Amino acid sequence: MSDTEHMSQKEILKAENDRYYAFVNLALILAAVTGIELVLVYLPFPTTLIFTVLISLSLFKFVGVVAWFMHLIYDKLILTMAFGTGMIIAFGTYTALLFLLGGDMVAPQEIPGR
Amino acid sequence: MSQTESHDDGHHGLMVKNKKLLMWLFLGSDCMFFGTLISTHLIYRKLYPEEFDPTQLFSLELTSFSTFILLMSSFLMALSVSAMHKGEMKSFRRNVVGVIFFGLIFLGCQVYEFAHFIHEGLTLDLGTFGSTFYLMTGTHGVHVAVGVFWLISMLFYSQSGKMEAHKNAIDVEIAGLYWHFVDIVWIVIFTVVYLIEFIV
Amino acid sequence: MSTTNTTEVINPSVHHDLAELKPEISDLGLKRPDHSKNVLIDWLTTVDHKKIGLMYGAMALFFLLVGGLEALIIRTQLAVPENDLISAQRYNQLFTMHGTTMIFLAIMPLNAAFFNFMVPLQIGARDVAFPRINAFSLWAFVAGALVINFGWLLQALEMFGLFSASGATAGKNDFVPAMGWFGYAPITSTEFTGAGTDFWIMGLQILGVASLSASLNFIVTIINMRAPGMKMMRLPVFTWMTLIVSLLIIFAFPAITVALIQLMFDRVFGTNFFSVAGGGQPILWQHLFWIFGHPEVYILVLPAMGIVSEVLPTFSRKPLFGYAIVVFSGAVIGFLGFAVWSHHMFTTGLGKIATAAFSLLTMAIAVPTGVKIFNWVGTLWGGKIRFHAPMIFAIGFVWMFMLGGFSGIMHSSAPADAQQQDSYFVIAHFHYVAIGGILLAIISGIYYWLPKMIGKMWQGSLNIWVGILTVVGLNITFFPMHFLGLLGQPRRTHTYLSGFGWESYNMVCTIGSYILALGVLLLVVDIIRCFRSKQLAGDDPWDARTLEWATSSPPKVYNFAATPVINARDAYWAHKYGPENRKLGTVEESHGIHMPSQSWMPLIASAGFIPLGLGLSMMQAGVPYMGYVSILGLVIIALGISLWALEGPGGYHLHPKKETN
Repeated sequence: MSDTEHMSQKEILKAENDRYYAFVNLALILAAVTGIELVLVYLPFPTTLIFTVLISLSLFKFVGVVAWFMHLIYDKLILTMAFGTGMIIAFGTYTALLFLLGGDMVAPQEIPGR
Repeated sequence: MSQTESHDDGHHGLMVKNKKLLMWLFLGSDCMFFGTLISTHLIYRKLYPEEFDPTQLFSLELTSFSTFILLMSSFLMALSVSAMHKGEMKSFRRNVVGVIFFGLIFLGCQVYEFAHFIHEGLTLDLGTFGSTFYLMTGTHGVHVAVGVFWLISMLFYSQSGKMEAHKNAIDVEIAGLYWHFVDIVWIVIFTVVYLIEFIV
Repeated sequence: MSTTNTTEVINPSVHHDLAELKPEISDLGLKRPDHSKNVLIDWLTTVDHKKIGLMYGAMALFFLLVGGLEALIIRTQLAVPENDLISAQRYNQLFTMHGTTMIFLAIMPLNAAFFNFMVPLQIGARDVAFPRINAFSLWAFVAGALVINFGWLLQALEMFGLFSASGATAGKNDFVPAMGWFGYAPITSTEFTGAGTDFWIMGLQILGVASLSASLNFIVTIINMRAPGMKMMRLPVFTWMTLIVSLLIIFAFPAITVALIQLMFDRVFGTNFFSVAGGGQPILWQHLFWIFGHPEVYILVLPAMGIVSEVLPTFSRKPLFGYAIVVFSGAVIGFLGFAVWSHHMFTTGLGKIATAAFSLLTMAIAVPTGVKIFNWVGTLWGGKIRFHAPMIFAIGFVWMFMLGGFSGIMHSSAPADAQQQDSYFVIAHFHYVAIGGILLAIISGIYYWLPKMIGKMWQGSLNIWVGILTVVGLNITFFPMHFLGLLGQPRRTHTYLSGFGWESYNMVCTIGSYILALGVLLLVVDIIRCFRSKQLAGDDPWDARTLEWATSSPPKVYNFAATPVINARDAYWAHKYGPENRKLGTVEESHGIHMPSQSWMPLIASAGFIPLGLGLSMMQAGVPYMGYVSILGLVIIALGISLWALEGPGGYHLHPKKETN
């Protein structure tokens, strides 16, 4: 932690103990969400709905780990900016690429042996 | 254990440790790295949806289990970083052993999965699916292996008695950041590479 | 931390006790290579950003000459139609290596030389944030340069009949890369090219590691190591551009890293990422390459803009016009650079919407670039202009870069681009940017900063001849290429038939290239003369504005005897001519200056890249046991990094004594 330098040992202990409960709760939630995801794919709901829910749950897990386990919400904004810039550029670039390379733009594949 | 040296942490700056800022920047860069790998896989899946049907091969139970294992290792990693900040070396070591153990289980699952898939005929040079799938998950596996190696050497370093809670907390923390990142990459892969295959 | 605000010069002549220091023992129990009397050991193990910068500069100048020589052979071959000076294959190798060398081994490291030397000085730091990683970046760059050029040796052996390829690339005796610097698939597959492609893959991969580690280091340095009072909006523009370029590198390079890994797997393990037979899409390589490749263009040019933004205010004796806008424009150019990669691929058939979008975004980049040009002109406006050498080249940059920019805007229009694609028009465009823009700015930087780097002053007026010959030479070489392109001469073709109206233009281009080469040669002569010069530069020969001129020339190993406190944007200018409250202050430090220890480990770790890269590439050419050699390389890297981690950062303290004044 960037600010632990200026905290007394007692304050550090208190902060870490508060975090401990956040970590335990998060771990339980993450495990539960993984279970839900596993069950979800077999449920007879519309594909679009399940797809949306799966992506949202994945995003939720992602944000959970980044924010709490990786301390981003406790830490300086500059770290969020460093990581967020990479995340945004990667997400934007590859989303665009997925749309650019559409299925109708390439000749059908000839797989050897089929 | 000082993986990287940082001499004279910023006299001005924003009061972020050099090493931590370096690690976060590296992780931002790594987003682009895994973004390329994952999107290559997705692009070929989109271009050739009929090329290969992985639903016959993927075992969601196994993959969910290894996802769960990796998430729990992340939890233990957070605890060991916390322990280090509190100066509790014993608790740190206990938790790190747990992380290493879970990391090895994950790697074991992956080795089993690869062996099983190759046995079933999904080889590295089978069309584009084999290529993209193995390179993507393999690169992630290498990241996990590097993390395990890093943590093991950290454990040995702490056994040698040279590790000081105050001085080396930052080194544990950046190793932790790396470990969590490997975890979140797997969160993404689990959904877009494994789960999605079963609904579309 | 107590700060005082005094008018005392912050770097008075100091005595330091360097000679009395003894090297310490590292955590590994080995003696650290500090304070070595052996010059070679001192430079090989150095972690001093100034020495590293000088080594980057020397290497880069060498490769600039190598790349220039390759270009001259190309131009000589093209002087007359149906020339048979060199074979088609050799021609392909030359243009591939010319592009690769100039981009990765000349311009990027020349920029890195200035980053290394100037950024810590400009922000008032003792060194970069991670001195040993900085040394690692340098040596990894050297390893990559060696790997990528190693093919020349094998090619020479092949010419004398002493070596030929077997194994995976049997029968393909091109050991120097021959598929163009952007290595479009499927030419890079083993069906079409030999081990040269493998040398290129491994070399670029290693250079990528070097660039990534250096950039991470510089971002941390600029954000964290600034002297007290050096707020972000007080940073010199060159430092700002370094920050933006470093961010571009860390976010753009992973795309090429992954693409190169995929290509390597295609060649070595028979995967199907880009091989058409197995369903791979060559177009994907183009996308991945240009996702990296377009930001790379700004990685090359933004430092040049930074240099010019330093030189113009100094020699106009005016602050930079619209500092905030110049910085912001640089950031916008950098960010937009990620959103325009497909404009290199207009003719591949992206679809109407995508083409329109990329066309529009490309045009949008002209806006911040134009803003910068106007700001530079605004800086000159009403200034007391002094035409010293750096200024001549900086003004040359503004003008020549503008010409390159104009043809760039022409390319942004997709229908026009379809006509110009793959013709000499494109060559004309990017050489105006690369030589008229980047090279002139770098020469300007050399003339501006070399006196600071080595403490000696330029002599004579050779610089005027360098200026005339390079600017005239580049215009004679590249201006006719616009017409050649519109007349339809294709690039990357080793010869041409007479009767298309290309002959006289080509002859003119070739003559121009020799004039340009003479100019660059005179630059090298001038640099050597500067090194041999007896005249001392003094701390501030140009009456300059930024902090690096406040310390001695050459700067002492610890840069500043006392950490400066910055109270104004053009910190040193304000110190010299500003009101009392804007002058530089100093931080009183009682414990001396902490210096990082030197280390062998960065050199050892990056030396492992050589067996790794050469081993994998030569394995492809069928040389026996090379698989083991590459594994040995990996072991050396792992060993170097482990020992690096275990030896501990070390460090010692210096106590420069101030003379009372």
